[in-house]
Amino acid sequence: MVLINNVKTIMNSSFKAKISLAVMGLGQILYGQIIKGLLYLSSLVAVFLYMAFKGVTDIKGFITLGTVEADPWLGEAGDDSVMMMLRGILCFVILIIFILIYISNINDMAEIVVRDKKGLPLRGFKEAVRVFCDKKFHKIALAPPIIGVVIFNVLPIVFMILIAFTNYGGNIVPPKLVDWIGFGNFKKILVLGELKSTFFKILSWNIIWAALATAVNYFGGLALALLLNKKCVRGRVFWRAFPILAYALPGFITLLAFKFMFSYGGPVNYYIKLFGGSAVGFLDIDAGIKAKIIGLAINAWISIPSSMLLATGILSNMNEDLYEAASIDGATKWKQFIKITLPFVVFSTTPVIITSFVGNFNNFGIFYFLRGGLYNDGYFLASDTDLLINWLYNMSIDNNYYGIGAAISLIIFVITSILSLSIYVRSAAFKKEDTFR
Amino acid sequence: MIKKKRSKAEVIDSVVTHSVLIVVSFIFLFPVIWLILSSFSKSGSIYDLSGFFPKSYSLKSYKDLFFDTTMYDYPNWLKNTLFVAVCSAILGTILVILTAYVMSKFTFTMRKPLMKTTLVLSMFPSFMGMTAVYLLMVNFGLINKLWSLILIYSAGAPMGYLVQKGYFDTISNSIYEAAKIDGASNGKIFLKVTIPLSKPIIVYTMLTQFAWPWSDFILPSLLLKNKDLWTVAVGLMNLDETKFTRFAAGSIFIGIPIIILYFCLSRFLVQGLSSGAVKE
Repeated sequence: MVLINNVKTIMNSSFKAKISLAVMGLGQILYGQIIKGLLYLSSLVAVFLYMAFKGVTDIKGFITLGTVEADPWLGEAGDDSVMMMLRGILCFVILIIFILIYISNINDMAEIVVRDKKGLPLRGFKEAVRVFCDKKFHKIALAPPIIGVVIFNVLPIVFMILIAFTNYGGNIVPPKLVDWIGFGNFKKILVLGELKSTFFKILSWNIIWAALATAVNYFGGLALALLLNKKCVRGRVFWRAFPILAYALPGFITLLAFKFMFSYGGPVNYYIKLFGGSAVGFLDIDAGIKAKIIGLAINAWISIPSSMLLATGILSNMNEDLYEAASIDGATKWKQFIKITLPFVVFSTTPVIITSFVGNFNNFGIFYFLRGGLYNDGYFLASDTDLLINWLYNMSIDNNYYGIGAAISLIIFVITSILSLSIYVRSAAFKKEDTFR
Repeated sequence: MIKKKRSKAEVIDSVVTHSVLIVVSFIFLFPVIWLILSSFSKSGSIYDLSGFFPKSYSLKSYKDLFFDTTMYDYPNWLKNTLFVAVCSAILGTILVILTAYVMSKFTFTMRKPLMKTTLVLSMFPSFMGMTAVYLLMVNFGLINKLWSLILIYSAGAPMGYLVQKGYFDTISNSIYEAAKIDGASNGKIFLKVTIPLSKPIIVYTMLTQFAWPWSDFILPSLLLKNKDLWTVAVGLMNLDETKFTRFAAGSIFIGIPIIILYFCLSRFLVQGLSSGAVKE
């Protein structure tokens, strides 16, 4: 390892270098690198001051999540548990950044020692910055994206994982004190209480939904692509424009439009009444299977175009000779499809099937727009069409059960990641990534 | 030349195929036609339409959309949406291109670990992050701000760098080696060699980064509680059945630009969708 070698280099050299292991930046100053040394030294001082005055209390607060409850009668401010948790996370982030700076200090010192031994002149500060910008271009270029992703993707996920192990939510929101409760939320969902029956009902519907939706979209798209690929079709570009139109229309517009279409005043019910029927509540609370089928159909309308585009791309890579050989051997069209087309397409799209399964498993929009805000009997804050992701939304956004909501999202993560990670890592595209660079 | 006479079976096959195509196309086209027709209806409520068709036609819905703004301020929604989408497109594109370029053309120890980390991160339901973002924003008082939306959209963009990385992978390394021999620094190479070479992928990235905030509804509806700050998606969600034709007009107005964009880009779409799938 580079780092260990660098430490050895420093240990084998003069006292001037060794001191920078203890006091970051002092070594650089002793070697005459004043500005760089001062920068290292001042960051060391800053972190020490922060830890002494705030950091230690923040970490304590992170562990206890507050001990003094606010008392409006006495006018006592009390502890805000959620802010204490956030400050604790911030403290850990600062410590990690400090460790990274310390490592760069060691590497820098080792480079100085090596240059000094060889008798090369040490770089001035400006020169050092210029060389760094060029040699470490990847670090500078990746810094903004990584900082952004850490703040807006990693931090929320860490926060959510932590929340899953607290009783935050329901009645317990600041100024009340939040506590760590270990696996309490998971127990509530998986083992005991009214949440358990809701969870397993939703989970089984969720799996059925994901499997059905993926199958319908995938084979629908494939069928459409095959239809368009037939030799007798005239004006392919024209026919292909219609699915693309459906694909391009923003999802929320499609979903809201279909909701209007199946509403009481909507055109579907208008024709039912015109022919003497009475209005049907397609998306009502007691709609049951009707709402599920409508959801599946609308999802197909939205998703088949993209799987058609994908299948078209893959079919264009196929070897035509295979079909000629097959038809000379007297294979029927159906047999050609089963024996040649299907294996080829399925084989080359396995990763896509998995991502589409995961996407359908977490398909928030469909039932949020069609039947948002409905709660069925026998379900805890959910309706019979809700998927886990909708339940998560109902729990955490609409009803403030943050801890339980976070636990649900962790369960979703475990399910989807086990599914997709095993396939992704095995997939050729990832393994052989290097050969395509 | 002898014109081959088509057999009876072929003719039937062709007729059946084309009639199926007509039906399928109709299914895809129909809801759009319905929305367009409704947007030209004279009365505003869905109850006043006879089935799929308005009783009489006028431009009233469009006029109301832009001038009757006391309850539903569509021009303002449009302005907010445009602002958020344009800013996120620019910021997001810069971040994505930088990430993809570095991941494709540089070798460093953290490269593989970073790729694996993004893979794991992308496996968390995107929605899970959003509840946390919501909680964080509430706790730091950043709710009801358009720029907090912009930050979230553009900061999340580098996670989807794989399509762009695939593009950079196809650019030959010899150009870069030549530039390095000429003594160009890495920063200069990026500006003078990479950017001019990657115009198509920059355009593609910009448009996808634009389309996402343009049609997203979850984040704005979570973070924008103030009516003045609503985007079009949030605003349209709040129109009920009696304002149906206004909804239709608003949808058509926001949907048409994005549909045109997609048609111009359909070549890229196929590549983007199948990247990672058809490699190998």
